[in-house]
Amino acid sequence: MTQKRSWAPYIGLAIITVIMFIPLYTVFVMGTYYSEHIFRGGLPLWFSNYFLENLKVVLGNNFIQAYLNSLFVSVASVLLSVTASALMGFAIAKYNFKLKNFFFVFLMITMMIPNQITIIGFVREMRAFGMLGTLWPLVFVWIAHPFGAFFMTQFIRDSVPTEVMEAARIDGCSEPGIFFRIVLPFIRPALLTVALLVFLWSWNSFMIPLIVINRQALYTIPLMVSTLSTMFRTDYGAMMCALSISVLPIILVFCICSKNFVQGIANGAVKG
Amino acid sequence: MQRILNMRPRAAQIWPYLFCIPFLLAYMMFHFFPTLYSFILSFYDWNGIMERSFVGVRNYIDLFTKDTMFLRSLKNTAILMGLSTPITVILGLFLANSLFHIGKGRMAYQTINFFPYITTPVAIGFIFSYMFDWQFGFINQIFIRVGLFGEPYFWLQDPWASRMIVVIMIVWRYLGYYMTLYLAALTALPQDVYEAAKVDGANRFIMFFRITVPLLRNMTIFLLLTSMIGGLQMFEEPLLLFSGWANMGNGAMGGPDNAVLTTVWKFYNDAFRLDSRLGYSSAIAYSLFAIIAAVSFLAYRIARRKGGTE
Repeated sequence: MTQKRSWAPYIGLAIITVIMFIPLYTVFVMGTYYSEHIFRGGLPLWFSNYFLENLKVVLGNNFIQAYLNSLFVSVASVLLSVTASALMGFAIAKYNFKLKNFFFVFLMITMMIPNQITIIGFVREMRAFGMLGTLWPLVFVWIAHPFGAFFMTQFIRDSVPTEVMEAARIDGCSEPGIFFRIVLPFIRPALLTVALLVFLWSWNSFMIPLIVINRQALYTIPLMVSTLSTMFRTDYGAMMCALSISVLPIILVFCICSKNFVQGIANGAVKG
Repeated sequence: MQRILNMRPRAAQIWPYLFCIPFLLAYMMFHFFPTLYSFILSFYDWNGIMERSFVGVRNYIDLFTKDTMFLRSLKNTAILMGLSTPITVILGLFLANSLFHIGKGRMAYQTINFFPYITTPVAIGFIFSYMFDWQFGFINQIFIRVGLFGEPYFWLQDPWASRMIVVIMIVWRYLGYYMTLYLAALTALPQDVYEAAKVDGANRFIMFFRITVPLLRNMTIFLLLTSMIGGLQMFEEPLLLFSGWANMGNGAMGGPDNAVLTTVWKFYNDAFRLDSRLGYSSAIAYSLFAIIAAVSFLAYRIARRKGGTE
């Protein structure tokens, strides 16, 4: 039966994959050209040799600062968010307490709340706290991410054996000790998945930084991208180079953790 | 067993609450309180500086009766969502199905098609603003080279062309993601149904529509729902399409004749960009939230009911 396998799916897939890949590819290619040479011989199809010069121009424009800002925001968000989610998920999954079901329903409902109804209040609040001149507001919004806690609850419920916890309890292990020594090793894949997702979301987040950040010294990568056309004017080579190094880190992270990432997203969707 | 569980009754009572504290505290401070604040504000007229005055539901009434731009933004959002959602879902399903049936190279296809989903949305807007630029964009260059156009076409000056470009952007961004989720769902399907169908002489085409599509129903409902919720909140892509490569309208005008001004974009303009009408914009945000909730609820009910009669 399987001998009748045709080439049609391969070819169809290849065509669509190429179309999907072209926009990103052209950005990377154009970033290696001297601006005035890009459009001279029609469409640039292959890499040129001007990448380092473009890179110099780009890095001269505060791009390193923006990288550091984005990195700080994403790493801090991941650490705080994963910790808060794992603890909350652990409590809901493995303890019996009065508000357990209420908390679970609360997570489900809050997952549906869009951030624009929060943002005006959030900005006023950050102003009142005197936080507007810092990067912290961009971190705060990710700490209590309902999806993370929901995902952790599901994962801990399914994959941490309660008997092992009981055994540790009899041996005199404290409740936080159980969390750190027993639960954490079991849920490493889930920690990685939530970490990757929060990293992706916070790295790509645009609307909140756009509203909260008002100094160029605090710009994150997406803000930097949104001002590229005013920053480089007609230096299209540098513009494309800037664009490619903005999307590169996230693509690298994705390629390294591709399997985990895709599985995590798929699991989250199938269960949620 | 019972004795073990009750060994430390007090501790077992306190610890789960302690574990929930970091999350709940952060939620209260950074989500719940601001949400409540915006809600109360939506009944006031306030620009952030002057004294606020209570206006009751007038903001909401004005929005739906006087603000033609708001109504237009709703229409735009509905058009963009209504076109991009079915295209992405159907194309995603077909792609996943063909990917499921090939042996080698599945991971490579999947990885490459997933790139757009993880690309910064702002960058996507920027890339497409370049591709469809009338002067430099490669779409025009290709069309001219092939001989389809005599001279470059000004895509971003045409309302419907602009909308189509936004739809293409959304499809481009989400296709790989939909494909991956469908593929995960396909992998989990029981294979013996297909074997039975094969014995009965069903061909691939029949099996796809009679077995695969119905079995993937839950995933389709999930994707339709999330895509509608996400689509109603569209913002970055159209914004950058008009302020990326060539700065058209300084990022405040929603394209030619405001054809791609989405509701969230309108909200952003009124609250932070063009104006500082915080009360009024809160009303926009809450109206949109109500619409999102209503649409998801309706879609869910319809999907479930259809499932019941089958």
